[in-house]
Amino acid sequence: MQNPAIEYDYTVAKWFSYLAILFGIIGMGVGVWIAFELAFPELNYVAGEYTLFSRLRPLHTNAVAFGFTLSGIFATWYYVGQRVLKVSMAESKFLMAVGKLHFWLYFITILLAVVTLLTRYTTSKEYAQLEWPIDILVVIWWVLWGISIFGLIGIRREKTLYISLWYYIATFLGVAMLYLFNNMEVPTYFVAGMGDIMHSVSMYAGTNDAMVQWWYGHNAVAFVFTVPIIAMIYYYLPKESGQPVYSYKLSLLSFWGLMFVYLWAGGHHLIYSTVPDWMQTMGSVFSVILILPSWGSALNMLLTMKGEWGQLKENPLIKFMVLASTFYMLSTLEGPIQSIKSVNALAHFTDWIPGHVHDGTLGWVGFMIIAAIMHMAPRFYKREIYSKKLLEMQFWLQTTGIVLYFSSMWIAGITQGMMWRAVDQYGNLAYSFIDTVTVLHPYYTLRGIGGLFYFIGLFMWAYNFYKTMTAAKQIEKEPAFATPMAG
Amino acid sequence: MNWLSDNVNQLALLGAAAILILTIGVTWKYFKQIKEGKSEGELKEENWDGIGEYKNNSPVGWSLAFIGTMIWGIWYWFFGYPLDAYSQIGEYNEEVKAYQARFESKWANPTKEDLLGMGEGVYLVQCSPCHGIDGTGIEGKAQDLTKRFINKEQVLSVIEHGSAALGDKVMDGQGQLGYPMGEMPPGLLSGADAVAVAEYVANGFKGNDKGAELYQSACASCHGPDGTGMDGMAPNLKEYDDKLIAAVLEHGKVGIIGTMPSFKGRLTKVQEKAVATYIRSLSE
Amino acid sequence: MFSWLEKNPFFFAVGVFIVIAFAGLVEIVPDFAQQSRPVAGAKPYDLLKLAGRNVYIKDSCNACHSQLIRPFKSETDRYGMYSLNGEYAYDRPFLWGSKRTGPDLHRVGNYRTSDWHANHMWDPISVVPGSIMPAYKHMFTNETDLETAYAEAVTVKKVFNVPYDKDIDGDGKIDVPLGSFEEAKERALKEALKVAEETKREDLVQMVKSGKIPEIVALIAYLNGLK
Ligand code: HEC
Ligand code: HEC
Ligand code: HEC
Ligand code: HEM
Ligand code: HEM
Ligand SMILES: [Ca+2]
Ligand SMILES: [Ca+2]
Ligand SMILES: [Cu+2]
Repeated sequence: MQNPAIEYDYTVAKWFSYLAILFGIIGMGVGVWIAFELAFPELNYVAGEYTLFSRLRPLHTNAVAFGFTLSGIFATWYYVGQRVLKVSMAESKFLMAVGKLHFWLYFITILLAVVTLLTRYTTSKEYAQLEWPIDILVVIWWVLWGISIFGLIGIRREKTLYISLWYYIATFLGVAMLYLFNNMEVPTYFVAGMGDIMHSVSMYAGTNDAMVQWWYGHNAVAFVFTVPIIAMIYYYLPKESGQPVYSYKLSLLSFWGLMFVYLWAGGHHLIYSTVPDWMQTMGSVFSVILILPSWGSALNMLLTMKGEWGQLKENPLIKFMVLASTFYMLSTLEGPIQSIKSVNALAHFTDWIPGHVHDGTLGWVGFMIIAAIMHMAPRFYKREIYSKKLLEMQFWLQTTGIVLYFSSMWIAGITQGMMWRAVDQYGNLAYSFIDTVTVLHPYYTLRGIGGLFYFIGLFMWAYNFYKTMTAAKQIEKEPAFATPMAG
Repeated sequence: MNWLSDNVNQLALLGAAAILILTIGVTWKYFKQIKEGKSEGELKEENWDGIGEYKNNSPVGWSLAFIGTMIWGIWYWFFGYPLDAYSQIGEYNEEVKAYQARFESKWANPTKEDLLGMGEGVYLVQCSPCHGIDGTGIEGKAQDLTKRFINKEQVLSVIEHGSAALGDKVMDGQGQLGYPMGEMPPGLLSGADAVAVAEYVANGFKGNDKGAELYQSACASCHGPDGTGMDGMAPNLKEYDDKLIAAVLEHGKVGIIGTMPSFKGRLTKVQEKAVATYIRSLSE
Repeated sequence: MFSWLEKNPFFFAVGVFIVIAFAGLVEIVPDFAQQSRPVAGAKPYDLLKLAGRNVYIKDSCNACHSQLIRPFKSETDRYGMYSLNGEYAYDRPFLWGSKRTGPDLHRVGNYRTSDWHANHMWDPISVVPGSIMPAYKHMFTNETDLETAYAEAVTVKKVFNVPYDKDIDGDGKIDVPLGSFEEAKERALKEALKVAEETKREDLVQMVKSGKIPEIVALIAYLNGLK
């Protein structure tokens, strides 16, 4: 089965794995912090203006999306790519150099992002806050990644592209298109010859800007939090379990269905706004249709595990991945339901949205990246996973964290939405705005605790990874399937 | 609170329930297959890094649902959703119209209790951010509405500056509150005289005899001998009457404390009367 | 066909690109021109307000505040008239926000005032007990970056034809003058002094009198203009 002649080179994959852990801890540490800030506002002032909620929130979203998640995506690409194409990075000095340059430029960019966000450089557009010089850096390493993908494909031994590759390719193309259009901005210094050189102004104004932004924003979710994560699960779950993918047909329909439908759904972020009614409706309709191609991948994965209850019980990595599929199903049903006009009328602007966001990101994105990296670690270092028990504990702790997170935010969001609308017996608004804020205190606290659980889990993960790298029992031969782990 | 009478609330709760029930229900079904089913099918020839693929068909339920949503989508887009007949602003206008019809018939003749209750609601939502939940004006940040009307410094300031001209707000002789008498001129009194009148007025038209006398000569011509404003020719200085509240809400007001924004068009007549009633109740 | 695509990465990529690209066109292009039209009476931000808007952006107020009043009675009662498309014609970027941890601000200029904002931004709980909004004290000492705001105004004027130095409503007078930086700055200082005085904070008044505009003053000017 394995081709023993090929020595895969995991240098770049390892580097990106380290970053995924690092940015996971930083990004989610900030997440926990801002979660508690909403419950205990004194925390805003711990480090002067640098810890104000509004300064840290964009830092959180950028660190988890562009730090943690992208690192995870790149780490797995530099691993999976070689293996399913049956070529080693070591075979091409050029591709090796591209990979390394990609890594370093990316690393520098994320560090610059942290510094500039903390020092108030932001364009304010969600998930596109970074100012133009950083955008340029992003474009450069994105192109490098593209070269790496198509370069490796160019020298492949495996004629047919495996499912995961479809999704990596789509990620590359989708983000490239979206990022370019949404970040069109004019640096003001070069027009006026004065002012801050970093400052720029958006090419689009008002409603148009909103439309381009959410065409981007929604599909950033698609092509960062969904498509590449599906790429991962299609490799790591069958690989770890040794089970063939349940249905090629289902993969095919889900992939093309997802590609076609996703892009139309961005309008659901703009319901009851000033964009034309027909566009909002289109967003709702396509969002509902989107349930099926989304669930298709998740069901395909669950069915791949058909009859494998034993593995699910025994292997924590399988647990992570099966639960990831489940959370993926939850959030891809939740999203479409929130896209229905009357539901959105209540849910939009409330905490129900962050609730939706995090059962997707923590349960699906986070769990999948954690599992992928722990699957790779023994193969990177030719050692067992240091502690199965620790991994198991991490799983349960983090699962509890997610449940606390989303259940508290569901309740908070729905409560808040209903209170904003509520009228007294005279027909007047029943609550002043501040009433709708103070009532959330217990839920904000619970969410913080949930986040803290998840965050502690990250340290277990980091420790387990580190010990696997340095101290776990060595293994002679790479395991074909199930990852070996010590008790 | 009658939350379930709102169809948006109903649908949202229904939605939340649907998310949980469907997700748990469907996963349950597939978990059962993981537990009890058996992996089988015809393998494709290809194999990637040890991973094979079955040629199984897509699950029937899934395929039917996919086709179903697509048909629904087409139907909804071309037939179900009235592409040119629906507008969210139209929907809003209807909502407001229906509300107003209901409101007006229901509160055509409100009792004092109704007004108090309604006024309290409006006050807490619209006014409390500045005047405080208890109406005391948050330590001098806005008018204290619990003590009868106006304090000595304010009266003094009005006597010195007149009413209309504080800051550089130009009122073109209208007076900022829009009373028939227009503007109150500055400098009607000064020095000890002004202080005496201020004390008298602020004290509820009591005490200070000198003030009482001066008031009658300098102020009564507009504000009336008893200070109630001569049937709305000038502001009532004794009590927050409906007319004063309505005037302040319509025009806003700049004084030594600060600026009170105008609420023009944001409250109905009944609501204005209601806050006035509520505010009067604060000083009782 | 699909298995052929899976063996031909180039065509596969082209296929994916086509499938994902055309939705964007259908979504965005048809109403693009119509939506950039300002409502009657809409005017671009003057220099001070633009600078204030940049402060709002720099401190990411949009993380907690929306600027989009939806057409529901519950929202128009709370915040005023629902938002109109053409009101945003000069908003680059748009600031609708996606989460209302705090209230909508699209018309906050109608029902809050300079002194209230100054008190509130200095210490929110002192005016709204139970508030979870942070205080923004650094804005009371930081100087507003007028140069950058001016550069932005010049840029939008040149590149996007935003009508600075023009008679917009046809009454024969220039509506939003910009002029040279010195002229614009002088006008901004005058405006700023008014706002500073309204806040009743001597430190702010003094700072403006010395020729520097504190960020908070620019921000309040911007908030007051949201109507
Ligand atoms: C020429 C008529 C006139 C005279 C004389 C006059 N007032 Fe007034 N006063 C007015 C009017 C008109 C207003 C409301 C002005 C406005 O719309 O801003 C007013 C407003 C006031 C207010 C402010 C009320 C508020 O709402 O805060 C006070 C206090 C006041 N007057 C006290 C006095 C006193 C004391 C005197 C005598 C020294 C006096 N006035 C003399 C016409 C007069
Ligand atoms: C943004 C802050 C703010 C809000 C909101 C506000 N007020 Fe005021 N209000 C003030 C200030 C400041 C003053 C004092 C003005 C002065 O210096 O005389 C004032 C004064 C008043 C006065 C006294 C006017 C006078 O003639 O002396 C009344 C009555 C009043 N407000 C009623 C209301 C009502 C009713 C509401 C709500 C529907 C309301 N206010 C909302 C700030 C506010
Ligand atoms: C952590 C979230 C948060 C951030 C960040 C935040 N706010 Fe707020 N804001 C609130 C909350 C909650 C309220 C309601 C309670 C209150 O009035 O303090 C509020 C109220 C306000 C109000 C009063 C509006 C009204 O109708 O009463 C204004 C104005 C305001 N904020 C401006 C700002 C500005 C400007 C910034 C950025 C510099 C900002 N806020 C940042 C949470 C926030
Ligand atoms: C320990 C884990 C985490 C905690 C405690 C946490 C907490 C938070 C908080 C408090 C917010 C702000 C919500 C608000 O404004 O009300 C937020 C927003 C957000 N977080 Fe997290 N987060 C965590 C992990 C993650 C991860 C792993 C991701 C992505 C991979 C993520 C993505 C986001 C996004 C996209 C938003 C913006 C949501 C929106 O705009 O509606 N978070 N998070
Ligand atoms: C079928 C798939 C999905 C649909 C139709 C969908 C729909 C939605 C809707 C309606 C909103 C709320 C918009 C609003 O009212 O503000 C939203 C927000 C969001 N969703 Fe989803 N969702 C889907 C899947 C996912 C997944 C899988 C993730 C992440 C893993 C995700 C991440 C987010 C994020 C980050 C936001 C917040 C955007 C923002 O306001 O900043 N979504 N989604
Ligand atoms: Ca950018
Ligand atoms: Ca958001
Ligand atoms: Cu979306």
